Amino acid sequence: MAQRAVWLISHEPGTPLCGTVRFSRRYPTVEKRARVFNGTSYVPIPEDGPFLKALLFELRLLDDDKDFVESRDSCSHINKTSVYGLLVGGGELWPVVAFLKNNMIYACVPLVEQTLSPRPPLISISGISQSFELLFGIQDFLHLGQKNDTELNTKLNQLPDLLLQACPFGTLLDANLQNSLDSINFASVTHPQKQPAWKVGTYKGKPQVSISITEKVKSMQYDKQDIADTWQVVGAVTCKCDLEGIMPNVTISLSLPTNGSPLQDILVHPCVTSLDSAILTSSSIDAMDDSAFSGPYKFPFTPPLESFNLCYYTSQVPVPPILGFYQMKEEEIQVKITVNLKLHESVKNNFEFCEARIPFYNRGPITHVEYKVSFGQLEVFREKSLLIWIIGQKFPKSMEISLSGTVTFGAKSHEKQPFDEICIGGTAYLKLHFKILDYTLTGCYADQHSVQVFASGKPKINTHRKLISSDYYIWNSKAPAPITYGSLLLSLSSWTLWPFKKR
Amino acid sequence: MGPLSRETWAQRLGAFRASPSAFMAGPEGEDLGRDLLNELRSEKLSEQTKVSLLALSLEYPAQLWPDAAAAEAAATSLLDTLVLLPPRPSALRRPLLLAATTALAAGDALGPTSGASRRLLPLLLGLASGRDLGRGFGPASEQRPLQATACECLRELESCKPGLLGGCLGLLRSLLGQEGPVQPLSLLLALALRNTLVIQARARAGLQGLLVAGDMPAAGGPWNWTLAEEADAHLQPQAPSWPAAEEEECGLAVLEPSPEEARELRAAVAQLLDTSYLLTPVAQAQLLWLLGWALRGLRGQPPVLFKPQLVRLLGTAQLTLLHAVLALKAAFGEALFTAQDEALLLRRLTLAAQHPALPLPAHLFYLHCLLNFPENCPLGPTGEETAPLLLGPRLCRGLLPSLLHDPSALLAHLHLLCLLCAEDEEKEEKGQDWCPRHYLGELLAGLRQRAALHGGPRALATLCFQASYLVVHCLATQPTVLTPLTHGLARLYRARPALAPHFVDLLDRVGPELGEPLRTALRQEVVSRPGRDEALRWHLQILSKVADGKAPSATLGFLRAAAAHCTDWGLQQALLQVCRALLRAGVGEGLADLLQALARQLEDPDGRDRARLYYILLAHLAGPKLGVALGPSLAAPALTSSLVAENQGFAAVLMVQEAPAPMRLSVGPRRAAGPVPVLQLQVEVLEPLYSVELRFRVEGQLYAPLGAVHVPCLLPGRPCRPLHLPLQPRRPAPAQLAVRALFATPAGLTCHAHLPPLPVNFADLFLPFPRAPDGDKQGFFEELWDSCLPEGAESRLWCPLGPQGLEALVARHLDPFVVVAQPPTSYHVAIRLPPASRLLLRLEAAQGDGVPVALRTDDWAVLPLAGDYLRGLSAAV
Repeated sequence: MAQRAVWLISHEPGTPLCGTVRFSRRYPTVEKRARVFNGTSYVPIPEDGPFLKALLFELRLLDDDKDFVESRDSCSHINKTSVYGLLVGGGELWPVVAFLKNNMIYACVPLVEQTLSPRPPLISISGISQSFELLFGIQDFLHLGQKNDTELNTKLNQLPDLLLQACPFGTLLDANLQNSLDSINFASVTHPQKQPAWKVGTYKGKPQVSISITEKVKSMQYDKQDIADTWQVVGAVTCKCDLEGIMPNVTISLSLPTNGSPLQDILVHPCVTSLDSAILTSSSIDAMDDSAFSGPYKFPFTPPLESFNLCYYTSQVPVPPILGFYQMKEEEIQVKITVNLKLHESVKNNFEFCEARIPFYNRGPITHVEYKVSFGQLEVFREKSLLIWIIGQKFPKSMEISLSGTVTFGAKSHEKQPFDEICIGGTAYLKLHFKILDYTLTGCYADQHSVQVFASGKPKINTHRKLISSDYYIWNSKAPAPITYGSLLLSLSSWTLWPFKKR
Repeated sequence: MGPLSRETWAQRLGAFRASPSAFMAGPEGEDLGRDLLNELRSEKLSEQTKVSLLALSLEYPAQLWPDAAAAEAAATSLLDTLVLLPPRPSALRRPLLLAATTALAAGDALGPTSGASRRLLPLLLGLASGRDLGRGFGPASEQRPLQATACECLRELESCKPGLLGGCLGLLRSLLGQEGPVQPLSLLLALALRNTLVIQARARAGLQGLLVAGDMPAAGGPWNWTLAEEADAHLQPQAPSWPAAEEEECGLAVLEPSPEEARELRAAVAQLLDTSYLLTPVAQAQLLWLLGWALRGLRGQPPVLFKPQLVRLLGTAQLTLLHAVLALKAAFGEALFTAQDEALLLRRLTLAAQHPALPLPAHLFYLHCLLNFPENCPLGPTGEETAPLLLGPRLCRGLLPSLLHDPSALLAHLHLLCLLCAEDEEKEEKGQDWCPRHYLGELLAGLRQRAALHGGPRALATLCFQASYLVVHCLATQPTVLTPLTHGLARLYRARPALAPHFVDLLDRVGPELGEPLRTALRQEVVSRPGRDEALRWHLQILSKVADGKAPSATLGFLRAAAAHCTDWGLQQALLQVCRALLRAGVGEGLADLLQALARQLEDPDGRDRARLYYILLAHLAGPKLGVALGPSLAAPALTSSLVAENQGFAAVLMVQEAPAPMRLSVGPRRAAGPVPVLQLQVEVLEPLYSVELRFRVEGQLYAPLGAVHVPCLLPGRPCRPLHLPLQPRRPAPAQLAVRALFATPAGLTCHAHLPPLPVNFADLFLPFPRAPDGDKQGFFEELWDSCLPEGAESRLWCPLGPQGLEALVARHLDPFVVVAQPPTSYHVAIRLPPASRLLLRLEAAQGDGVPVALRTDDWAVLPLAGDYLRGLSAAV
């Protein structure tokens, strides 16, 4: 399992080439093996220029897609993964693992230790998952705390040295590039026996453990009889353990209050040494019942030096924190909108911020707005065809707020106004953005006293919690809306929500 | 070239990286490799610049040192530079080791005869085992990183030359047990172990104590290349530890270690697994792949050793680790995963494929793994993507597609949905409780709605058609899916005819299940809206694809109406393209009128000409020939003339073409009867031929012109009755016939071919005299004999007899012409030679080896021919 080459390409729409190779690295010894293993199906790694062109074409990132091009647009040219075949130099280079994230294309070509025709399934190619880890690792490194282009360039300049450390011959040794950076700096430390490879040094200083729980809540609300609303909580527990010793042992327990929602779909960091089978099997796939395991969730582990995600989980809370409806009716060049939002009483009414963004796609700029809000203020972004309803830090006592108004649009010009492939005609949404500190929707918390540390010195334990919204959509109930299968299924079980008076 | 500054080097390296091939072809290319090696010892350059030079050599050794000799020299130079480094800390040691390793491995220089290899290998092994190599190898602080680097270098060399470290297994084990760096040593040992097992299994040898031999190759002593050389012939595609791979390829099934070896092997594997938690996740995954591969199929090696690792691994979100677990699953199946384990693994995989905390590329990969899941008891064909049996509808709920998905995500999830629908086929509709098909229909409708969006990106349309294709591919037998799909697509066309190219592409790729109804629906969609329309060119493109013999009057009506609006060349060509399709489909009635009208009415002369051509073709060619003539689809007409383009298409079909001889012609046995000589021709063909006409020409006008011979059909392997070719000699002389064949091929082409010339022998012209009156044969003969003189000629000659004797000779060659016979000694022979000659022979008083022949003829010219003939008789069998 090894990589033949890796590239970072910045996507620059509007420029002649639509992109620039910012970094590339080839592994000639792996390439030599590829030639032997692949036999007659071997296609050599191209130079950067041709690779850039072929990749952007395949990913549809070139500016011209006016005309039908069979090699790209044919109905049988189906790609179901982030792995592509690129037409270069008369052959097809495959498998090319590639994805676009934050305008940067991450790409590499793993070694396949057999012939490529017929193509073996990806699951049988050991280098594929390594490709992903390498690219994710580079992505994490580039975007960790990166603020601007200068920082990005600095990090890009560090990459050759880092890969020389983390992937000297094309076989990835550590996907955590920050670790490799540290190991360059730590090089003078003499390593004791049995030092883990994922921990390049030891901590010296005051012992402390920080645990931070971040929950994101997603929702799709339709306000329709035949379609059920859906919502889901996704949690991430981040830890930073500053503890002395080579292999300090730590156990963190996550607890729920009595009415808390069980944690499900738990994925843990590889440093976790053992897992209770109840944690391993608790899954959102199963129907929920009272017998569901509700903690405490114990995670024994040996921490790495850096901050890491101890675990992720999901949870199905009984109600969404904010329930609302959005009605939009088109009347020639105007639309009439009505929005109603209600905060559930169990939710902490103390936001860092809370706002509702109401975009209008595939229309001209906003020329006129008449509105009435029961609470908060409305900001109008005419050119962007966007309304932002700033709700602020608290809902009023009634917990229920409303907005109604009429929005008039000017003539549509394709360049400026936002295009959206979903919001056609009456199909429209509003999106809620909010953040509540020191709160989780599941109730999940890490009790300071439940943290066990087997290391010298009693550490200081810090815990943090927050809830943020993520993809929190309320769809216009007067028009069709995109649904998921879950919405269809749930609507059939026809349960009623908490009492929220529908009009 | 003198020493270069840092800036010059930066510039040079930049130019090289921009395009290595262009740089190497340029004036500086040749010197780059040499300069680079020299500059590494320059005292003027900073270490950082030197590191960047080495980095270049790590990536492009093949360009810098293109052959093995150059690579060997480069590695030697790099090693020299390494030992010459001053004993203070330096950033160069590590990259120098990597560069020397790369140069040798990538340059094909690694081997027992390479001096650099003989220096590098002991050096690496010494460093890896933490031996003190003296001051030249830097301060103690560098030892640890160098030890790890040396392990990496050795691992790369072992990867490129499996078996290289076969003799060091014991040493590596003991190092791992001591204080060596865990990860590099573990990976090195695992790889060497795997390779050794593979090589020994191929050689049908045991482990031969390799696992316990703890000694290090003596310093300066020879390296043991035995295993590597054994493997050398075998660096061949290796089957991964995957069930699809044949046991044989895996090659381990035959290795049966002794109980002691098995114990050592188990100990080594356990040693590696026990410390595996100290490795980074990606390194753990490599270790598991290697060990899984090493132990797969090895008798007496139960994979339970892996069991303690599994629970830990199943809990993680790490892609490589879960992938490695799947590899173990594939390698060991039930031996390692009970049915419950399998179910748990499947659930974790399902969960990972939709977990919101994981990125999309990981989701898609997991989804792929689900559809290729290595089941303990797989049903159905291997090699096809299927949903595993345990993956019921309930597990799949979160994996179904939604319009909010990215294109590749949507297609991946859609595929799963299609597989579920296919499984669901036999089951009865269970009301609305679980109706994936209904959901599928809704989803496709949503995709079509997006594709119909005017001015929307092409990607949306492409996605819609890809989804439709996928659905047809999976559910071709389900009318409940295909019927709404067909109607939906027809409506999509109505809403956005500009998608015509996508429709044409879809029709080209789907089977008749969707293709037939969709053709009909699209045709109806187009022809039901005649008249001026901005989308006319799309309509015509669609029609040229879907127009067939069905309902031609509606199509023709549409075309007649459209003709008035076809004002530019492009539209006219599109219109004629539809006519062409109709011509091919055999539509005659009404089309002739349309073509005639077009030939008059179109504005562009090129269009008129083409219409006229089609009209002429329609009027003159029968249906099948027309089909063939217009057969290969016309490429988009060039801007010059559509007629030229069209001609390229079918001129070949309408012209007679030269072809290599497709048949063999030979002269069969003589018939010697009738009024004129007739050649019996035998024919053999190599391919089916139709309407064959054989034409013959006599060289030198010896015979009257010959008529052609016709055969309707000749098939290979099927005997054909002989063909008769009557000859009308003007003089009784042998001749050569030139032969040409005209024929039609099964592809409908008319061809002609020259066949080898056909010889007509003297004897082929022989005819018997009409029967002599009964009773007086002798008299008849004597009368003929006498009549030859005085105008004719007489001769006597010796006709040699073969072993068969006179009687057999006569029976074989002259029997039809014998008038008087007194076997076995005397024969009187009378031969008629058209047009008006005779040849009379008396063969009497044969002796052992010959017979004297008296011959008379009334034609002087015949005499030498007869002489040659008789003398050749005994040789002719």
